[in-house]
Amino acid sequence: MLAYTARRLLMLIPVLLGMSLIVFAVVHAIPGDPAKTIAGDKATPEQLQEIRKNLGLDQPVYIQYFKYLQALLQGDLGTSLVNKTKISEEIGPFLAATAELSFVAIAIALFFGINLGILSTWRQNSWLDYGSMFIALIGVSIPIFWLGLMEQWLFAQELGWFPSNGRLDPRMEYEPITYFYIIDALLFGDMAMLGDVLKHILLPAIALGTIPMAIIARMTRSSMLEVMRSDYVRTARAKGISEFLVIYKHTLKNAMIPILTVVGLQLGLLLGGAVLTETIFSWPGVGRYIYDAINSRDYPVIQSGILVLAFIFVMINLIVDLLYAWIDPRIQYGKE
Amino acid sequence: MTQPVLEIQHLKLHFFTDKGVVKAVDGLDLTIREGEIVGLVGESGCGKSVTSLAVMGLVPQPPGKIVDGSIRFQGTDLTKASQRELRQIRGKDMAMIFQEPMTSLNPLFTIGNQLIEAVRAHRSCSKAEARELAREMLEKVGIARKGVLDEYPHQLSGGMRQRVMIAMAMILNPRLLIADEPTTALDVTIQAQILELMQRLNEEFGTAILLITHDLGVVAEMCDRIVVMYAGQVVEETDRYRLFRQPRHPYTQGLLLSIPKLDEQKERLYAIPGQVPNPYQMPAGCRFAPRCTQVMDVCRQTVPPLAPVEQGHVSRCFLHQKEESHHGTD
Ligand SMILES: Nc1ncnc2c1ncn2[C@@H]1O[C@H](COP(=O)(O)OP(=O)(O)O)[C@@H](O)[C@H]1O
Ligand code: SF4
Ligand SMILES: [Mg+2]
Repeated sequence: MLAYTARRLLMLIPVLLGMSLIVFAVVHAIPGDPAKTIAGDKATPEQLQEIRKNLGLDQPVYIQYFKYLQALLQGDLGTSLVNKTKISEEIGPFLAATAELSFVAIAIALFFGINLGILSTWRQNSWLDYGSMFIALIGVSIPIFWLGLMEQWLFAQELGWFPSNGRLDPRMEYEPITYFYIIDALLFGDMAMLGDVLKHILLPAIALGTIPMAIIARMTRSSMLEVMRSDYVRTARAKGISEFLVIYKHTLKNAMIPILTVVGLQLGLLLGGAVLTETIFSWPGVGRYIYDAINSRDYPVIQSGILVLAFIFVMINLIVDLLYAWIDPRIQYGKE
Repeated sequence: MTQPVLEIQHLKLHFFTDKGVVKAVDGLDLTIREGEIVGLVGESGCGKSVTSLAVMGLVPQPPGKIVDGSIRFQGTDLTKASQRELRQIRGKDMAMIFQEPMTSLNPLFTIGNQLIEAVRAHRSCSKAEARELAREMLEKVGIARKGVLDEYPHQLSGGMRQRVMIAMAMILNPRLLIADEPTTALDVTIQAQILELMQRLNEEFGTAILLITHDLGVVAEMCDRIVVMYAGQVVEETDRYRLFRQPRHPYTQGLLLSIPKLDEQKERLYAIPGQVPNPYQMPAGCRFAPRCTQVMDVCRQTVPPLAPVEQGHVSRCFLHQKEESHHGTD
């Protein structure tokens, strides 16, 4: 497992390089002039030229890229044009907020998706099956922003059960340690705070997790039905073990392999959804960070924000790959 | 005579599919006594696997359904038992090994895990005790190599996996072992080893064995009694000496002719003409009639009964009645 992990980590290097190049190219293709952002509309051409020179924008693009890459390797994500702050110093909390929201969303998606899928396989072609798959069908069809706004309207505004935005009640503001509020609350042992954090995260996490949940449920169903027919499941039944073990041990673990593939693919979508969800719920994550940067045409922030999202995406895929190997012993031994 | 462990009476198991009803097992009688090895033989598709799965309570329902008959195992009628009762019997008093050793073990769990699970499903003991039992059992099936318990199925050969399956089936010393084509997927030398192993376990533990195969050569070696099946029904049953020396049913005779013999240099092997009947449209009378070289008019209209032709020898064919009436007029 260790050797396998090392190999996968090595393979990340070209992926990350390619990623940085693409992000760089995309942001440079955005129309608009950073110098104008800084100097404002009334600047003279000479002033603009001066600013471009300071930012290194007068140099050939490939030199710009290598400078950018060099800085990146030293952990320097550039400087905000608007606030003049170092991005690497201020992006951490936003990153933590996005990561926390995504984790909770994917946890909800996995738990409910898998169990909904199992429920429908367990009683195939019964009303339980049709009911579960109907829920899944609705789930994939709901646009995130609509679901988010509906949640806010019903559970926050009308019923008042949950707060409609933010990560924590402002009166509970505290000195963050990890910026993962759930972890921080646990570190403090502060149950009141934990409760409040969970209350805040629930609605956006459901909005974000619903589509992956529905897709996972469908995938679980088809994958479970397939594995259910296999010889080793018959062997497991022939041993006289409980139906619970047959389903959750022998069938689910094998069915997880295709499910994980789907989860991996969903994560890209999930990060896209995170930007939307964060905007609706005023969630101070990378999505909001980029959204604000786009509004103020803060190019370095846009660039680094996207890069960080892409980086999270790559890391999550790495984790999915490692999970594969952990679940299936044949992967570690075989050729990839 | 010893007690029957398993007594199947007039079993009918049908599959209700979109295309129609498949009468996979249609009025089958089969008895296995303590410690006996019984061979169940017939061409592929005649209902051998379905019969064994019915005994284990593992037929997928739907589409399968037992429409008639009984399966008595040590006195309990399994056709009326609840899932819970069946679970308590499966793996403990009655175990099964399958045709496909390559796919019958779960690829994601170690051999040890799967053996220990078989023990702890029925016996409350610690993991360490179960593991020790598993190690001993592996030795008994001829796997002495250390560390196999911690290996995964893909690290073992087909023959080794079948040995593991046998160890798993035998680990709680069941009264009946059902082996559905246990050697079909293995090459010839391994085949012989596995059969020998099963024979040894039968002697050592006194476990009755139902050995299912399409290959008469396999049963010739080790079965006390042989039951020949055709299209969901028993067509002939007797001990192995009589079956090989005086087969009475035309189908059995055909099967015997089609066994390759080493001493004969035949141009081509004999094969029974025609094909097994379409399971959705069984012939009205004798199911073998479309392929039988001695078919008579009556065969196409009436189903021949399974009747004794001598002491300890039954056959399902109208020819025997004709012979008898001949004897009568002589
Ligand atoms: N799940 C099923 N659904 C429908 N028909 C089935 C099913 N399982 C087996 N059958 C039918 O039952 C008959 C007997 O099959 P089987 O017992 O597997 O034969 P074999 O003697 O080769 O083991 C075949 O015609 C097969 O098509
Ligand atoms: S009953 Fe008739 S058709 Fe059937 S096996 Fe006997 S002779 Fe042949
Ligand atoms: Mg079969």
